[in-house]
Amino acid sequence: MTAPRFKVFRWRAIGPLLLFLLLLVGLWMAFADTVARGMAEDNLSGMLGTQVDIGRLTILEGEAAVEVRQLAIADPRDPRRNLLEAGTILIDLDPVPLTEKKLVIDRLSLNGLQFLTQRATPARPADPNSPAGRLLAQTDAWAREKFQFPALALGRIDSARSLVLNPDQLGTVKAAVALAGRVDSTRQAFEESLNQLQLKALVDSSAELATQLAALDPKKLGLAGVQRTVSSVQQRLDRIKRAQSQLQGLEQSARTSLATLQQGLQEVDAARQRDYAFARSLLQLPSLDAPDVSAALFGEPSAGFFEAALGYARLIERYVPPGLEPWKRPGPRRTRLDGTTVEFPKVAEYPRFLLKQGDVDLTVGGPVPGSLKATANGITSQPALIGVPATVAITGALGKDRSVGVQLGAMVRRFGRAPKDSLAARLTGVSLPAIQFPKLPFGVDPGASTLSTSFTLAGDRIQGSWEILSDRVTWLADSTGLKNASVFEATIWRVLSGLTVLRVRAELGGTIEHPTLAIRSNLDDAIAGRLRALLGEEIAKAERKVRQAVDQLVDQQVTAVQARVSDLTTQVTDRLPVERGQLDAVHQRLETEVRRLTRGAAGGITLPKL
Amino acid sequence: MGRSPITFSVMLTLLKLLQSLFKTLHSEGTPGQVAAGIMLGAGIGLSPLLSGHNLLLFAMIVLLNVSFGGGMLGLALFTPVAFLLDPVFDRLGYVLLEAPALQALWTSLYNTPLVPYTSFNNTVTLGALVAWLALAVPIYFGARAAVSRYRAKYGERVNNSRLMKALKASKAYNVYSWFQAE
Repeated sequence: MTAPRFKVFRWRAIGPLLLFLLLLVGLWMAFADTVARGMAEDNLSGMLGTQVDIGRLTILEGEAAVEVRQLAIADPRDPRRNLLEAGTILIDLDPVPLTEKKLVIDRLSLNGLQFLTQRATPARPADPNSPAGRLLAQTDAWAREKFQFPALALGRIDSARSLVLNPDQLGTVKAAVALAGRVDSTRQAFEESLNQLQLKALVDSSAELATQLAALDPKKLGLAGVQRTVSSVQQRLDRIKRAQSQLQGLEQSARTSLATLQQGLQEVDAARQRDYAFARSLLQLPSLDAPDVSAALFGEPSAGFFEAALGYARLIERYVPPGLEPWKRPGPRRTRLDGTTVEFPKVAEYPRFLLKQGDVDLTVGGPVPGSLKATANGITSQPALIGVPATVAITGALGKDRSVGVQLGAMVRRFGRAPKDSLAARLTGVSLPAIQFPKLPFGVDPGASTLSTSFTLAGDRIQGSWEILSDRVTWLADSTGLKNASVFEATIWRVLSGLTVLRVRAELGGTIEHPTLAIRSNLDDAIAGRLRALLGEEIAKAERKVRQAVDQLVDQQVTAVQARVSDLTTQVTDRLPVERGQLDAVHQRLETEVRRLTRGAAGGITLPKL
Repeated sequence: MGRSPITFSVMLTLLKLLQSLFKTLHSEGTPGQVAAGIMLGAGIGLSPLLSGHNLLLFAMIVLLNVSFGGGMLGLALFTPVAFLLDPVFDRLGYVLLEAPALQALWTSLYNTPLVPYTSFNNTVTLGALVAWLALAVPIYFGARAAVSRYRAKYGERVNNSRLMKALKASKAYNVYSWFQAE
């Protein structure tokens, strides 16, 4: 009897397997759109750090396209409104790259766009642990740390009010104590270095040697004696030269240290100015410097723009890596560990995401209808594969009478040695939201204005501007607040309510670590001038009081540290020339004696070179 | 007092796992066929579910003359193990994807049609797949020895038990028998 032949394949299972595959297809048809919509919402929300809603997503398998309806992207800084809503977005995909799991968009059309619309329900806040959530929190903390604006008016000026200061609150005391420590350590280091040179012993012994040499008669010494004597003196001269050189080095180092200490004194002075400002804030005294007026009124909204611009630039940095190195990103969210997904871009292959060059007509609906024309080029997740910067240009007009002009240009160059992201936008005739002035019972409605903004991030350097021009402003007052307004606030109100033009310009510069923000407006001089005329004497009186209160607490330490720096400076500048002079003198004497001995010796003997 | 739906669901799953275990161990297939099924099922169980290669492994379990029950048993046994080993898979996958000598291979695979759908470029997926490939042969021989030993020592007794008879009599057993090893 032979054993039955072993069969490798189970042919009768093909039917159930086909049924299973059919079931998968059925499940795809039934649920793919819903699942894809959920995934798209999750991914976009995580990527942008705000709630993204999609009303409907349809995968059009036959056309290799995706249709998205009712897309709404919430404003991450204001959950009650949407940044953008889109009625219909049709995305035509290139099917060939799709086989490599790459999204290459051949054509993109958007209809029914709306901007800054009110939401029916507030948006969920971003997950603080998501990459975008962390980025938003970081830029928010950055703006709060780097930009602090003075309050223009806080209340009634009361120069008679008592001012109680705690020395621990004052930076001057801390700066003076720290500087005194630096002075002591500098003095100690200087004295130790000087002592190590042992100049006194060297000068004394050399002077004694010179005296002994002066008593010698070269003829009595003879040639050999002169040669021996000169040779021993030569060693002493070499030692003196070394000491002179070391003394010169010490002098240079001492001068550098003194310059640093002088800078420290300036820092103490700067700390005192900050303490004056702090004490002024306790007395609620306003600053009447013109730039401070604009910073107090328009600092918050301008910093808000730069914060948002930096946040989005950082977001681009995160999702658009430079170069062609393998790029890591978090894996898909699932019950199992997400892991890390690594992209392996390759020259002459498709990137993971690409929107090919194209012109897109954007139909804008909602309360502000209009039409925009967008030109996009090289929008990709791997710009190094494309080799051209990603650019977007949008132009058009909005509003029923096309009164709002839109010009926007953005460039992202994330390859080569110097990646750079920049944005410039200009909106004309746009109704900007009202600006409420901080801690004042009034604000401004700029009305139909021209808003110009720009922002550039290149490495660590940032540059930008934010400008509002309006010829028909309306000043908004809180009637109750105005009734109880201080003289100060009432004066500002009188100045403002007489103006119809508003020109504000904020300029950002410097680096992310050390940004500079200068804000000027046409209100600066008008407000500062009027307030000075009205309240100048009162403010000056209070200012004197502030200075006295601070000086009383810090003068002792500041004077002491100034004296210490001065003493050390005198010590260095007085002592070093003396030491140098003594060395030079004894050097001179020894050389003179050597010359005398050699001249007096008979014959043309060869003596060591001096 | 009524049971919560979650408790009921867990109990049902455990019962099914028990059914699968008994049915597999007493199926007509040889210990080698059961072990091969467990080995392929382990591949699915160790990998994250939505990985392209899992479809291939499933098709192999169905089409090859291995024990289907063994496959399901392997899946059920190795899925919880995978959760425990995920950090190891993540590390292993990371090392492999970062290895300079393999960069050309990964780049080539990444740009090859259909391959990216396996999610091989995810550290956990690659780590799990490589770990399974390394463990496949030990799993096979280990499972084969265990099934042989079980059948020799306990098979007859359990096969004649009332529980096993009840299981065999159920309708589900008939459907399951379509995939039984021949």
